[in-house]
Amino acid sequence: MKQKVTLIQSVWIVIITLTCATLLILISGASPIEAISLFFNGIFGSLNGSMEVFVKATPLIFTGLACAVAFRTGFFNIGAEGQFYIGALASAFVVLQFDSVSGVGRILLAFIAGFIGGGIWALIAAFLKSKFGISEIIVTIMLNYIAINIVGIAVRTFMMDPNGNLPQSAKIEKSVCLMQVLKPTRLHIGFFIAIAVVILVWIVLEKTTIGYELRAVGYNKRGAACNGISITKNIILSSFLSGGLAAFAGVIEVLAIQKKLVENISADCGFTGILIALLAKNHPIGVLFVAIFYASMQVGASSMQRQMGIPSSIVNILMGLIVILILGKQLIGPKKKKVREEKVC
Amino acid sequence: MLEQIITIGFLTTFFSAAVRMAIPLIYAGLGEIFAEKAGILNIGLEGVMLSGAFFAYAGGMFTGNIAIGLLCGMLGGMFISMIHGILSIKLGKDQSVSGIALNMFALGITSFLYKLISTGKTDKQVPTLSTIKIPVLSEIPIIGEGLFHQDILTYIVYILVILVVIFYKKTSLGLSFSSIGESPYAADTAGISVYKYQYISMALNGILGGLGGSYLILVQLGAFTENITSGRGYIALAAVILGRYSPVGMALAALVFGGASGIQIRLQAMGVPLPAQALNMIPYIITLLALLIFVGKNKKPESLAKPYIRGSR
Repeated sequence: MKQKVTLIQSVWIVIITLTCATLLILISGASPIEAISLFFNGIFGSLNGSMEVFVKATPLIFTGLACAVAFRTGFFNIGAEGQFYIGALASAFVVLQFDSVSGVGRILLAFIAGFIGGGIWALIAAFLKSKFGISEIIVTIMLNYIAINIVGIAVRTFMMDPNGNLPQSAKIEKSVCLMQVLKPTRLHIGFFIAIAVVILVWIVLEKTTIGYELRAVGYNKRGAACNGISITKNIILSSFLSGGLAAFAGVIEVLAIQKKLVENISADCGFTGILIALLAKNHPIGVLFVAIFYASMQVGASSMQRQMGIPSSIVNILMGLIVILILGKQLIGPKKKKVREEKVC
Repeated sequence: MLEQIITIGFLTTFFSAAVRMAIPLIYAGLGEIFAEKAGILNIGLEGVMLSGAFFAYAGGMFTGNIAIGLLCGMLGGMFISMIHGILSIKLGKDQSVSGIALNMFALGITSFLYKLISTGKTDKQVPTLSTIKIPVLSEIPIIGEGLFHQDILTYIVYILVILVVIFYKKTSLGLSFSSIGESPYAADTAGISVYKYQYISMALNGILGGLGGSYLILVQLGAFTENITSGRGYIALAAVILGRYSPVGMALAALVFGGASGIQIRLQAMGVPLPAQALNMIPYIITLLALLIFVGKNKKPESLAKPYIRGSR
């Protein structure tokens, strides 16, 4: 998705998407005007709603960043979901295990543990790719399922809450949860950590040699290699960073929202991160805005669902549709003579 | 516990369950083999199956007729696969991106439409296919019951697997079809219509994938829930790779995956203290190991996932 979308095409994409949204609202037997007003009301109508957008955006920012960093290097990381789970597991484990370490120190340890865990998880796929040429797409998909099941085992065995018999870990005490910033909303400090990480990633990618090499490998493997840039080293580094970032999403979900380790903790955050990265053209700042956009769509849609029964899956339809339209943009708008680009040799 | 497992009765019911779980994967896997041999990677297979499942349910629910349900399922699958086809063949876009977007789109559409047509109470069941027992063959110990006491879609897939093997190995049309995935440039030079065959392969991908999803509804479950395929499309992808792009290999790999699901259910029913998740992981771990072991003897189509642009080098 490296070509620029022309203005006419962008306008058409917006028109088509809005038309579909209206159609879907009509099919579910609701009035579009009412629905749209509920949508915006859900987001802007209350402090809770607005802050909820940032709460929901936080994990998406991390998985989006994870995918963006990986994609920039040409490493197609579909394993953000699994890396999320490993991050959640590692951080929950550290937080519950090291109860002698106090407050902030333990939180820091949890983040580090999560990052390393997720990084290693992604590293497996990168290693298999560099060493054996095995497609990272299928490896990361397999690792996703393995990670989800590992968490399932963990909450039923060594992480299980000794005081109950539900498949979940013991509750994490308040002193090590990420602090809430604006009671009574759910907004927590994780969102601001996310913004800081966005800026950090941007600096690393655009302003450092490391970032330069990562991007070079993504643009032109052979050219990079001929210039002395090690492909293997950079794919390994990129995957480790990517896995770590995705794991942060899991860490935050455990420490700020769930306050324990439990199954089904991610709500497909990892997969959504892929689409967010693509829509943001793998740019870190873009990821921030697209994640907030997506989160606001989720909040608005759930308001529409609560009050008018419009299924919230409308968000998935529209997001998928937007990506499909962007991919198919050459078919939209005024017909050009050449539909297929000529590949330059 | 071990004595309980090695009884004929246990093995027979286990094998039966393995076959039942494998059939949707085999249908989808066949569809994916057509696509990948034509050089197109369809990660959207999950969306194809889910779409097939939903429209089979909708068709069956509104008409009460299984045949119409199956037809709707096939069309539903094709809907997704042809979008992928247009983006990959006509426009030459990144096939992984397209696949993932289509999965999200399919999940959204099926969940949305399902919420609208379901009443929320006990959902209307659709009629399911009954089993047909083949005499003599179904009496074979252990495997007879599983292989020959199934429904008609299962028997059809046996025939399809054989037909696909014959198609690719023994017919010149099949040779043409597989050449476009290996070297579309050479195939084009030889006069083979690369794009046309790719579109046909994508149509088959949709039909077969849609049938895989329809099987879940019209044979196994009789009802639909959101995200009912829950990853089976990805497992079918893994089965294709594990089976090294051959229909029989893929079917055997699917059987292994089916077996892993089956054994997990049986062991749980027997009260074995292993958490279900440990057994759930087995197929995925096996896939990774198999990928490692078979490295180097790669039978992946050379031009897989590379868009073919006529006139370029």
